[in-house]
Amino acid sequence: MTKALRIIRRGGVLTVLGLLGLVAVYILALVYTPTEVRQGLAQKIFYVHAPAAWAALMAFSLVGIVSGLYLWLRDERLDRFAASSAEVGLVFSVIMLTTGPIWGKPVWGTWWTWDARLTLTLFLFFLFVGYLALRAALEDPGERGRFAAVVGLLGLVLVPFVHLSVYLFRTLHPQPVLVKPSAPSMPPEMLRTLLISFGVFTLLYLGFVMVRYGLQLATDEAAREAHDAG
Amino acid sequence: MISWLRQVMLLAGKDLRIEWRSRTALLSAVVFASLVLVIFVFARDPATVPTSALAPSVLWITVTLASTLTFTRAFALELDQGAIDGLRLSPVTPGALFTGKYLANLAFVFTVEVVAVPLFLLFFNTTFGSAWPGILGTLVLATVGFVAVGTVFGAMAIRTRFADLMLLILLLPFLVPPLMVAVQATVRLLAARPLSEIAGWLRFLLIYDIVFLTLGALVFPAILDE
Amino acid sequence: MQASGPPQNGEYMVAAYVVVAVVILGYSLLLWIRARRVS
Repeated sequence: MTKALRIIRRGGVLTVLGLLGLVAVYILALVYTPTEVRQGLAQKIFYVHAPAAWAALMAFSLVGIVSGLYLWLRDERLDRFAASSAEVGLVFSVIMLTTGPIWGKPVWGTWWTWDARLTLTLFLFFLFVGYLALRAALEDPGERGRFAAVVGLLGLVLVPFVHLSVYLFRTLHPQPVLVKPSAPSMPPEMLRTLLISFGVFTLLYLGFVMVRYGLQLATDEAAREAHDAG
Repeated sequence: MISWLRQVMLLAGKDLRIEWRSRTALLSAVVFASLVLVIFVFARDPATVPTSALAPSVLWITVTLASTLTFTRAFALELDQGAIDGLRLSPVTPGALFTGKYLANLAFVFTVEVVAVPLFLLFFNTTFGSAWPGILGTLVLATVGFVAVGTVFGAMAIRTRFADLMLLILLLPFLVPPLMVAVQATVRLLAARPLSEIAGWLRFLLIYDIVFLTLGALVFPAILDE
Repeated sequence: MQASGPPQNGEYMVAAYVVVAVVILGYSLLLWIRARRVS
């Protein structure tokens, strides 16, 4: 079996595990966790929204870092990984962009607001789209790799600027309730479910990226064979 | 081996001279800016929306949109005549290539602004008053930044089929932070806030400029080489 | 101070969870179809 197929298979296993984990998260979130008094059932969207946001942000950061490495080292494996992470990141940012407003409407009364975090969400989405659009529009693999890497790297560098400029304005987003070293202000069932969900989404990210990487490797190898034969 | 500075001057000068002969991009940007301004004047209800409320946004939107026109033009020129290969083969250090292109683009955008800003003051019946040094400073700082990013993305977008569309898709996320900050600074300047209040916003623009100019110069070789 | 209990907004929760399932399963399916074509 070729290396590409092996990678796809392994990635597939991780993905299936992740999907099973997602089922578990659904059960935990919908049944096991208590209903929050002020926000009601809609608060439970948090258990899928926050981990998706985390996965999207992680995907994006990796695209940026790996892009920088690619520009330096020009190893095509790095380019393949960046392309995979970008596509998977887009999927998670779509989740982030849809669940965010669905949560916002009942809790803040509005579908959308230009606060710090939602705006960053939108920016990440556009940066992913731009990156993938550029890749799709270029045929030469060398050019595609280099140009995409430039966008990936610059995009990552842009994020702190977006964050800063939007934070100079008021923000409606609920303040972090989790990151307090002494005592997170969250009942244990909620915390446990959330942490498990983070783990599941990370697993899904890894599985998806692995499969996507394998697919890209297979395509690249086929293209190279065709090129050599022709 | 020609000194770096001389290389930059030669490259920028070449661009400027070529553009000056036909002046198409410059004229289209200026005409575009004027049209956008006119649209803004009429696309509002004069009874409920005072010009002063819109003024900072209109100024910056006009400037931003008009300047994006220049970025693909800068490389379209070379793509047409395969001149990019000529540049690549010449003994020019890539840093000089970026800086030359950048300075030429900067000169174009400044020229567009020199026309657009007085037009804006005219159409919107405003004056900057004592705020004008601050606004001028903000204009310079913001322009320096987005011309840097525009130069980099223009060079890439030109290799795709729908270059102008691709440029916009790539560029917009990068324009929004400096645009937002510039508008905020302008609003405060027009409200005659003291310069000390604006310092933070201007510092943001300065850091943005330094970061993206440096990054632009660093990645430009990757855009040009084989 | 009324003891009115949490607001009734369960339909939003359902909508969000459905969206997430659709997107994740949809993408998984997409990858699986591409994988079949390659192997």
